[in-house]
Amino acid sequence: MGATIAEHLRQLGAGRRTDLPDTTAGTMRLDAREDGHTEHWYLTVADQHVRVTRSGDDAELVIRATPAVFDRLASGESHVATALLRNELTVQGNLRLLMLLRRIFPGPAGARHPRELGRAAMAGREGRR
Amino acid sequence: MSREWVNVIAGNAFAISDGEGDVTDAADAPVGLFSFDTRFLSRWVLSVDGEELNVLSRDDMAYFETRFFLVPGAASHYVDADVSVIRHRSINDSFNERITLLNHSAKPADFTVRMDMGNDFADLADLTDTAARGQLRRRDVEVAADSARHQLVLRYARERFVRETTVNSTAPADVDERGMTFRIRIEPEGQWETDLHVTMTIRGEGGRDLRNDLESHRDHIHGGMREELTAWLDRAPQLMAERDGLEETYRGSLTDLAALRYTPLSYPARVPVGGLPWAMAFCGRDSIMTCLQTMAFTPELTPATLRMLALLQGGQLDDLHDEEPGKILAQLRYGESAAFGERPDGLYYGAADTTPLFVVLLDEYERWSGDADLVRELRHPARMALNWIDEYGDLTGDGYLRYQRRNERHGVINQGWKNSADAITDESGRQPPFPRATCELQGYAYDAKRRGARLAREFWGDPGYADRLEREAAELKDRFNRDFWLPERDYYALALGPYGEPVDALSSNIGHLLWSGIVPHDRAEAVAEHLVGPRLFSGWGVRTFAAGQRPYNPVGSHLGAVWPSDNALIAAGLRHYRFDAQAGRIAAGIFDMAQTLGGAVPELIAGYERSLTKYPVQLPAAGRPQSWSSGSLLMLLGALLGLRPVGDNLLVNPALPVGFGRVELLNIPGRWGLADAYAGDRSATAAGRRRLR
Repeated sequence: MGATIAEHLRQLGAGRRTDLPDTTAGTMRLDAREDGHTEHWYLTVADQHVRVTRSGDDAELVIRATPAVFDRLASGESHVATALLRNELTVQGNLRLLMLLRRIFPGPAGARHPRELGRAAMAGREGRR
Repeated sequence: MSREWVNVIAGNAFAISDGEGDVTDAADAPVGLFSFDTRFLSRWVLSVDGEELNVLSRDDMAYFETRFFLVPGAASHYVDADVSVIRHRSINDSFNERITLLNHSAKPADFTVRMDMGNDFADLADLTDTAARGQLRRRDVEVAADSARHQLVLRYARERFVRETTVNSTAPADVDERGMTFRIRIEPEGQWETDLHVTMTIRGEGGRDLRNDLESHRDHIHGGMREELTAWLDRAPQLMAERDGLEETYRGSLTDLAALRYTPLSYPARVPVGGLPWAMAFCGRDSIMTCLQTMAFTPELTPATLRMLALLQGGQLDDLHDEEPGKILAQLRYGESAAFGERPDGLYYGAADTTPLFVVLLDEYERWSGDADLVRELRHPARMALNWIDEYGDLTGDGYLRYQRRNERHGVINQGWKNSADAITDESGRQPPFPRATCELQGYAYDAKRRGARLAREFWGDPGYADRLEREAAELKDRFNRDFWLPERDYYALALGPYGEPVDALSSNIGHLLWSGIVPHDRAEAVAEHLVGPRLFSGWGVRTFAAGQRPYNPVGSHLGAVWPSDNALIAAGLRHYRFDAQAGRIAAGIFDMAQTLGGAVPELIAGYERSLTKYPVQLPAAGRPQSWSSGSLLMLLGALLGLRPVGDNLLVNPALPVGFGRVELLNIPGRWGLADAYAGDRSATAAGRRRLR
């Protein structure tokens, strides 16, 4: 399947992400915890840029889960909001930042653009003629 | 025989019981105690000495608080009962019921008081979905009965998803797995009481002190919530009206709106939920409409709603959730099926109208409030929403906003406000293929572009973008009036199919077009006459679908029934085009309906001819209270008074139907500070302009 959280965040470019709201800024720490060991990623979001460092510093939002749960988020297999509902993630701090992860991580593989359905409908008509 | 249901509400937490206060065998009915889309009690039955109780009277003290006065035994012999029972229940984040037994005899008396308790942890979404009813998931519920602590804990766990109901009694109790028993003695003329406090835990966070919780519940109910309701009513404009009952109806609507607010997990301010019982969740459409309706009355709902919707705006292409970047939410739910992806409504985006309406709401709010900072703060989501209309909403490339679900299992079939599966049909009952372009969606898109242009020019410093949006809006209006207009019928088609073929039914959707302003003046009169003509107008309001067409069904939600929310928008649209008499007829009909029924305005009533039934026929599927139904009365009042912000002033341009007499609305909030509106119908004017108070 897709990337692990480590791979995804490592290759996250330093460029402008125009899909992030330009008025939103904040810090998030992802704590991937397994067998008593915790790995930290520290995300600083400002002015449509995301900076990733490895730090255990305090952040406005701290998100804790197992590495497997983070991997599923990073590959688009799972949605951050439903993972929260399933209690796979625990969060502490400013929850309003959580939905930024939906934009930072990719969507599910194989999703269709609505126009594909429109084109299929038009093609279906041509086919019937 | 229909039973009476009694509810207490606090945002998305609510309890529905029968008239005695009991919940028996809830099963697939939406009764019991709920919070965050989960049932926390499905059985809650009180008895004394093994006898059922009968209600003498009830005092609905506030939307969050009710008292039942009861006596044991059958109706025939309770008149001389020497024991009576009071159930006093209240709800906020938790639920409390104080049970008081009064011994009216001159002798001490022994009683066995029993409360049966149980729960199935049903997901409200499963109860809503008629297809899923009758085959509800059976859940293994762990029960821990602890007589020493007077506590019963019911717990359901699936992986890390945990829901827990904890019932604590302040009085000693014998607790078993099916409830609590109290064996008590009451002195002559004495009383006994216990508080049964129910906490609803939605995540696995333990260690809360339940005693503190009960105290904070009481403080909140007795201080905070009552004061807060009074303050909410005080902040709204004061209505004084000659017409009997209008003030009460107004106050009732404001109170319903207060009840239907909740604080989401992810946002610290309150937003409207849809309504009882099916939509006690954050619904994009209902919330936006409620905000639009209540702008002149309770504008504080709007900034929180806009920010919450912006926060949850679609970010990715996702077929399961029918999500696209920039799309505005259809529904947010917290239940089990949402969590585990068995239903996509954890965050579901299957709505084609919410995204343009988000932009409409932002612009409308600025016009009323002058809050330019909010417009600048929400520039990015508003631009994403405007981009969505063309990039993702135009499925066939013909310039119309369309929809077709990609989640073919659970997605919503029709994604406008008429969202039942059979709602979009021609006059003979033929349903068009997908993707579908319903007419009102084009009106919303037109309005969104025009309003987006104003925001871009005045606040975002982007005149080039403003010009583009205005050009696109003008082109859309031309195209729409060419393709949707049915010249031989003198009205607009309900929809276009994917190849541009019109769906020729006459429907209430054409009234929304007036509200959006996409109708040229030379066609507006024909539209207005259809709306109040005999096929669409029932006497109470405009039917969703005109009588005389084959699919017409007076009890069909979107094929003939009358919706107050639909009618409010239509009346406002008629007044935009100066069809004051037509707007007045509709508003008068809806107010008559609301006042005849009393209580909260239902979401819809049957489309039967008023002269035939004399009384509004209610439908079992109609919930109440509903935020956009309660809000619609406020919008109708605003439309009759002709309230409109013009620059920094409030314009008042009243047109009251006969029978309203004098109406005064004082302290209307807005960028002008507070302003008053005075109006009178023609008879009142003739009688002189006397003041009401």
